Amino acid sequence: MNKVKIGMLLSLALMLGLTSCGEKEVNTKLVLNEVLIENSSNFQDDYGVHSAWIEIFNKSYTSADLAGYLLKMSNQPGDTATYFIPKGDVLTVVRPRQHSLFWADGQPNRGTFHTNFVMNGATATWVGLYDSGKKLVDQVVIPASALKADQSYARVSDAATEWEIKGASTNNYVTPSTNNKTLEGNAKMEKFQNHDSVGIGMAITAMSVVFTGLILLYICFRAIGKASVSVSRKRAMKTKDVTSMEEAKEKKLGEAPGEVFAAIALALHEHNDMHDVEDTVLTITRVKRSYSPWSSKIYTLRETPKK
Amino acid sequence: MGEFLNFISNNLANFWTYTGFANATVGHLIMILVGLVFIYLAVAKEFEPMLLIPIGFGMLIGNIPFNMEAGLKVGIYEEGSVLNILYQGVTSGWYPPLIFLGIGAMTDFSALISNPKLMLVGAAAQFGIFGAYMIALALGFDPMQAGAIGIIGGADGPTAIFLSSKLAPNLMGAIAVSAYSYMALVPVIQPPIMRWLTTKNERLIRMQPPRVVSHTEKVMFPIIGLLLTCFLVPSGLPLLGMVFFGNLLKESGVTRRLAETARGPLIDVITILLGLTVCASTQASEFLTFDSVLIFMLGALSFVIATASGVLFVKFFNLILPKNKKINPLIGNAGVSAVPDAARISLVVGLEYDPTNYLLMHAMGPNVAGVIGSAVAAGILLGFLM
Repeated sequence: MNKVKIGMLLSLALMLGLTSCGEKEVNTKLVLNEVLIENSSNFQDDYGVHSAWIEIFNKSYTSADLAGYLLKMSNQPGDTATYFIPKGDVLTVVRPRQHSLFWADGQPNRGTFHTNFVMNGATATWVGLYDSGKKLVDQVVIPASALKADQSYARVSDAATEWEIKGASTNNYVTPSTNNKTLEGNAKMEKFQNHDSVGIGMAITAMSVVFTGLILLYICFRAIGKASVSVSRKRAMKTKDVTSMEEAKEKKLGEAPGEVFAAIALALHEHNDMHDVEDTVLTITRVKRSYSPWSSKIYTLRETPKK
Repeated sequence: MGEFLNFISNNLANFWTYTGFANATVGHLIMILVGLVFIYLAVAKEFEPMLLIPIGFGMLIGNIPFNMEAGLKVGIYEEGSVLNILYQGVTSGWYPPLIFLGIGAMTDFSALISNPKLMLVGAAAQFGIFGAYMIALALGFDPMQAGAIGIIGGADGPTAIFLSSKLAPNLMGAIAVSAYSYMALVPVIQPPIMRWLTTKNERLIRMQPPRVVSHTEKVMFPIIGLLLTCFLVPSGLPLLGMVFFGNLLKESGVTRRLAETARGPLIDVITILLGLTVCASTQASEFLTFDSVLIFMLGALSFVIATASGVLFVKFFNLILPKNKKINPLIGNAGVSAVPDAARISLVVGLEYDPTNYLLMHAMGPNVAGVIGSAVAAGILLGFLM
């Protein structure tokens, strides 16, 4: 009965764990990353047209498919335009840490990446991304008249929580289909080159971590070893009728080295080996094999069909 | 008739341009010669044949000259070629963890569990990695390349390949060949350093025989080992996860078939593919550079530093240990994770001075701790530099 209860409890915990993992994934994989509303001389589509665009970023390290997702846009409450991202286009798969750009040009007949709505920056614009189960994945509100022509409203860096206006200065440029913050060098490497050109910092840090890891293991297994010796000592005391702990410690009960056991095992083997001299005698013994469905032939046979 | 003969001669001339003879360079010939030397050492001298045969033959395969412009899809660097497909296990880094699975399934950690302080010797020997890292930086390599080169000092081929494929893929061939060559040369490199750094009395130290380790302890080791090390260094998960998983398959006692597959056919298959493809990637144009010479030099140095730091650490440790628990410094060399060669060297050198002092089981402790230590070190380098 207890086993059944434990089993049910574990299953419940597993189900809860899986459910929470599933929800988390839906909510965090894809995010709205950058929006440009008034495009006069910025990025142009394959038709050579300058239109408003919405950039989506896959912030995970696995591919994410936008097929079946909904892009919604609203300039005023109660008036929401919805674009269903078509299924069956391989290009809707966004590779890990990559971007996908949608043209808000009201021309869905021009392809998967052209929405059926246009955007207008005169009033505040709300853009939302919904998954195929119509759950809100991400949303952003672009303040009214906040953006001038060719300026975008974007996350400070890819998937960052803070948003800013890009294109207002030369250092802060609009980045369609690419990283919101352009990495012009390897920051980690530069940090090492500037602060630890000799490598001593790395050596000290890394050796400390290696030692910490192995010291933790040492402490753990020292304690486990002591507990194990104590258990074997108690067993040895029971078999040898020793009651005093001091006496057991003195006699080193339960601490016999492996060599002793090896010698005992060898002696037993020698004693039990009936054919060490008469090695030409053949003995046939029945071999017992424990049953396992993995090796059972019964399960690999097809049953005869019955009417 | 004349036109036909002309056609035949043109065809033959064209065919000639595709042959290895027409495309051979001095570099190819040198690399083929190096490959032949490795095969000779493996067959005639029996120097680590399991490593040197795939390495040597891989060098021959990788250095067969052919017309690169022809698009024959035969070279290891040509996308879609058979060799390129096999090489993806190296570039994507999934061969080394599978090797580690096999290593875990064949390693007995009892020596380490019975005397856990030997773990610290395994940790000390990792200084070889960071010593080589510092020297590589001084020689002008960038931190990522220096990290990839330094890992040679871990004396762990799969770890070296795993890390170099992530940090410095262009140096991977030289790093892998260097790591495997020096692992094969451990019997030559280590004994002089061990003798030089120890006194006669230290070499005669007899250690207490290891106690018997219970089944429960053996089962707990991979579980606790994984949790502790990977919580500390999650970037070491591919290697540490697999080594501890393999060990649990072995020690649980209920997955004998899986353990046998992991330590038998699986590791054999992956060793063949890994050795062959890594060394087939040592094409003369990529391999015969001044950087490779430096990498070989640094590899040797890292082995020397690792051995010396292991031995010196034991000597230092002995200062604080009680008299009956002293450690023979001849097992300090075994902190490098060349399993079980480094431990065997401790035994052989120990027997030279006392024919009844068998150090093998004691040396296996730091030796397997070295496997864990080098995987942790690789994880740290990956975490810091990637």
